[in-house]
Amino acid sequence: MADEVLFELLHSELVSYVLKNSEKDKKHGDLSTLEYVGFSAGYRIIERLTKEWPRFKDELDTMKFICTDFWSSINKKQIDNLRTNHQGVYVLQDNAFRFLTRLSAGRQYLEMAPKYVAFTCGLIRGALSNLGINSMVTAEVQSMPACKFHIQVQRI
Amino acid sequence: MYGMLFSLKSFVSKISPLDTKEGFLYYKTSKYALHYFETPSGLKFILNTDVNAQNVRELLQQIYSQVYVEYVVKNPVCNMKEPIKSELFRSKLDAFIKQSNVFVSRPM
Repeated sequence: MADEVLFELLHSELVSYVLKNSEKDKKHGDLSTLEYVGFSAGYRIIERLTKEWPRFKDELDTMKFICTDFWSSINKKQIDNLRTNHQGVYVLQDNAFRFLTRLSAGRQYLEMAPKYVAFTCGLIRGALSNLGINSMVTAEVQSMPACKFHIQVQRI
Repeated sequence: MYGMLFSLKSFVSKISPLDTKEGFLYYKTSKYALHYFETPSGLKFILNTDVNAQNVRELLQQIYSQVYVEYVVKNPVCNMKEPIKSELFRSKLDAFIKQSNVFVSRPM
């Protein structure tokens, strides 16, 4: 009932807290702490979410799981668009990303958008890492509230 | 404006013969009506309307819960102490007022 709002407010406070702390000792605009927090959270939550699921057949299957069940259990909606080049690059598009819908509709506050997607980038990276896929996740926001997550799978 | 409303509010609560539940609601002149709504957290909403507007208090309450809380309180960028600069808030407020039945565009 109230838990959606709770997570959003907590996330906003987390972002402002991390940025205030990093302003004191390190350089400006350091989002790596936020990303690491997301990574640990994603790593652990995937353990709980996939408790009863069978092993995924392949990478694409894992990505589909992330787009549907994972995203809907965290953000109450699914990813709107998944694209891949079948060479390890995936693009997940969410047309109404939950932390950006309240910020603006369009271009205002665009420079603040990266701060609010860093946690979720880490979340995806952590989830994939515990499922056995090492990757690099970045986000691209052109016009709020739509957001694209670029996942680059690292194969050794 | 704040001083005027504060004095009006205390005047209304003192002059009323019965115990007031809601206190100062609105004042009407021959040209316009000023409606006032205060939330438990101390936020004051003021709306100037036409003399014949009905149910404005409900409208103010809905503006608070559906527009202000959604797009200002939940917006991490909006600081509580500063004026609201969010374009989204402005457009949502505009849309909300236009589709409410208090807003009627009447040819003068």
